[in-house]
Amino acid sequence: MRLDVPTDFGFTEEHALLRGEARRFLGERLPMATLRRMLDAGHRFDHGLWKEIAELGWLGLVLPERFGGAGLGWLHLEILMEEMGRRLVPGPFLGSLLAGIALEQAGSESQQAQWLPAIAAGERVATLALVESGGGFDADTLTASADPVDGGYVLRGRKTHVVGGADASLVVAAFREPSGHTALFAIELPTSGVSIEDEVSIDPTRPTARIGFDGVRVGPEARLDGPGGAALAATQVRGCAALAAEQVGGAESVLLLVRDYAIDRKQFDRPIGFFQAVKHPIVDMMCGVELARSLACGAAAALDAGSPAAEVHARMAKALAGDVYASAVRKGVQIHGGYGFTWDCDVHFYFRRALWSRPMLGDAIHHRRHLATLLLDAD
Amino acid sequence: MSRPEEATESKENAEFRREVRAWIAANRPSDPGFKLPQSFLEVESDRQFEFLRDWQRKVYEAGYLGLDWPAEYGGHADPHKRQRIVSQELNRAGAPFLVNVIGLQWAGPTILAYGTEEQKQRFLKPILSGEEIWCQGFSEPGAGSDLASLQTSATPSGDGWVVAGHKVWTTLAHVAKWMILLARTDPAAHKYAGISYFLFPMEAPGVTVQPLVKMTGEGGFNQVIFDAAPMPKDALLGQLGQGWQIAMTTLTFERGAAEGSGGGSTAPTGESVRAVTSLARRMRRDGRSAAEDPVLRDRIAQGWIDEEALRLTAQRARVPGLNMDDRPLATRLMNKLVYSEFGQRITELACEVLGPDAGLWLGDASAPDKAEWPRMYMNSFGMTVGGGTSEIQRNIIGERVLGLPKTK
Ligand SMILES: Cc1cc2nc3c(=O)[nH]c(=O)nc-3n(C[C@H](O)[C@H](O)[C@H](O)COP(=O)(O)OP(=O)(O)OC[C@H]3O[C@@H](n4cnc5c(N)ncnc54)[C@H](O)[C@@H]3O)c2cc1C
Repeated sequence: MRLDVPTDFGFTEEHALLRGEARRFLGERLPMATLRRMLDAGHRFDHGLWKEIAELGWLGLVLPERFGGAGLGWLHLEILMEEMGRRLVPGPFLGSLLAGIALEQAGSESQQAQWLPAIAAGERVATLALVESGGGFDADTLTASADPVDGGYVLRGRKTHVVGGADASLVVAAFREPSGHTALFAIELPTSGVSIEDEVSIDPTRPTARIGFDGVRVGPEARLDGPGGAALAATQVRGCAALAAEQVGGAESVLLLVRDYAIDRKQFDRPIGFFQAVKHPIVDMMCGVELARSLACGAAAALDAGSPAAEVHARMAKALAGDVYASAVRKGVQIHGGYGFTWDCDVHFYFRRALWSRPMLGDAIHHRRHLATLLLDAD
Repeated sequence: MSRPEEATESKENAEFRREVRAWIAANRPSDPGFKLPQSFLEVESDRQFEFLRDWQRKVYEAGYLGLDWPAEYGGHADPHKRQRIVSQELNRAGAPFLVNVIGLQWAGPTILAYGTEEQKQRFLKPILSGEEIWCQGFSEPGAGSDLASLQTSATPSGDGWVVAGHKVWTTLAHVAKWMILLARTDPAAHKYAGISYFLFPMEAPGVTVQPLVKMTGEGGFNQVIFDAAPMPKDALLGQLGQGWQIAMTTLTFERGAAEGSGGGSTAPTGESVRAVTSLARRMRRDGRSAAEDPVLRDRIAQGWIDEEALRLTAQRARVPGLNMDDRPLATRLMNKLVYSEFGQRITELACEVLGPDAGLWLGDASAPDKAEWPRMYMNSFGMTVGGGTSEIQRNIIGERVLGLPKTK
């Protein structure tokens, strides 16, 4: 395996434009005060914001143009996710992203034509149901089952941590078939036999749900055509790269909050940033953010280049970015002192997102285990 | 596992890389049969020095040094700036290092930036060929992290200067022909304003070089005592009193925060973790391969993540659009800190992989890899202390990149 990443990461002016557009739009549309108002009002899904994001083309950013997407690359997504992570964009974006990728990976032409245009247009909120309680992010831990009956299938099992599950009208879910293979199914919601129960997410900007499939009858067309295991693996690689970028963006925001506070806040007649016990951890935070950003960009560029090492880079990125974000919020609270411990201080929103996203699609422990197999056992 | 970069670089560069690789394979010296230093910091004996200098001359004569330097000073003015490729290939081949590091990486680029035409004509070419070795006289017993408090003085005398004072930790001073020297020329001026930068001839009378022994037992650095040592008028580099500013330029090169070296840089290429992986496969622990131990596997995987993150950060530093617009210098200024700290972690990890054999030292006949790992771990502190300690790097980054208040 070669760890190839194109020298310039495939970066173009187009990428710079997207960053500028995203930063401008989110800066105006989602200042922290707006986000707080939404959360205080208990709005977990802002339909106006969703529509605007759809109009910007973000919901179909990496989906093919022939199905209503923008047909852009993974480095575009990296940049967008960083910006969205910086602003803690609330709502079911991540679920729709993952479902879209899974449909593109596993769906036939007609299945893609059926679902992707509505996802890209934001008319349909979609999500991916993968994890089961006690299970993990590897397909071989799945216990939910799909059994063939009368030319269709019966689906049984319970999925947890489904992003935006309660807002979705389409769920792509992973089941095990009697052959032992994984298959992906696209199920329109509501459907009889499917129960959806809100979870109380630690991160109010990212609501999740438990979805139960209690003997749900679906037709053969619900089963996505391609090999489910491979499609799921490909979806997770892309999802890890995207989520890592979002984590980098979040950690960047925490870094800037802490930096500003260390310059503003005075104790012992000096800004606290003068003290090295404050200054040095902030520098380490910055180094972590920059290193993780390099892996997130590397994973995206490797995907764009079709490199077989993209999986290695995506796992590295998700592992490091998750740890860096977690460490940033830890220092973020501490350096803000008593204020950092309050609801008023913005850091806890990032703290929540960091805690939520670290294990999602696999934490660092999970990815290092896979990386060890890929890098220590292979030659 | 094969290497990054090659598949994605331009045709000319890939071609050049193949050519360099073939040349190294055909020309690298065979094992001399005596202990070689691990880096330019530990050169102690004459035979080590001659062996290394011969190698540098050979690389130079093959046309692989000074690629990025102007042709009129012995360089090649390579439009593709391919010195980096040469150093990557030398590094990967495990070829001996280029001994004149201080000349190639620090003194040379500084002379290019501040030297007179005569100084550039005089000094640059022998740096590339290895004919004239350079050392760096910055640190003093009382002036380390607080370099600007240095006391060594240069006083006008006749047509030139005389130097009095005491420099310490001076790497390669025992074989150097020239020293980049910081000396106080105006004791009345402000701490920073009173310093000037000189190109000092080590053969001058009144100079005593005394070797110091490192924690590994090796030599390689020295103290240098100046007792009314004369130097000519044109030893001055830049303007009188400009020494601090020029020294900061030198340190920028030394810390890998700027490109311009005559012999490439030391950016990580992924070699360290590959070597630790191969070590783990060879070592046994609890009756099985150390590469099967779940905890070690996790730690080594972290090493892969860290080294790849460093490698990609060096690559990303050259793509302005992928660097934060409000801190464009971040990825360059953090180089020294993150490379040297990584070097320490990975060599310490190698010692853990060794298990009880980490307790075997140079000279033990059955020590794995001739006990190079514990030696490397010890020597890694030379990198986290030398060139400005990690703590000082954090101050610099905090202040210059993040705008935090200054620590004096
Ligand atoms: C292998 C090696 C080779 C070297 N080669 C050369 C050479 O060729 N030429 C040359 O001029 N010098 C050389 N040096 C010297 C090197 O630059 C100094 O050792 C270094 O700058 C530290 O200075 P010091 O040793 O006086 O330590 P000190 O400055 O006394 O530092 C001691 C400890 O205090 C900490 N400290 C000091 N000030 C601060 C502060 N403001 N904030 C936080 N922590 C602080 C340091 O980080 C360190 O941990 C070399 C050093 C080594 C180890």
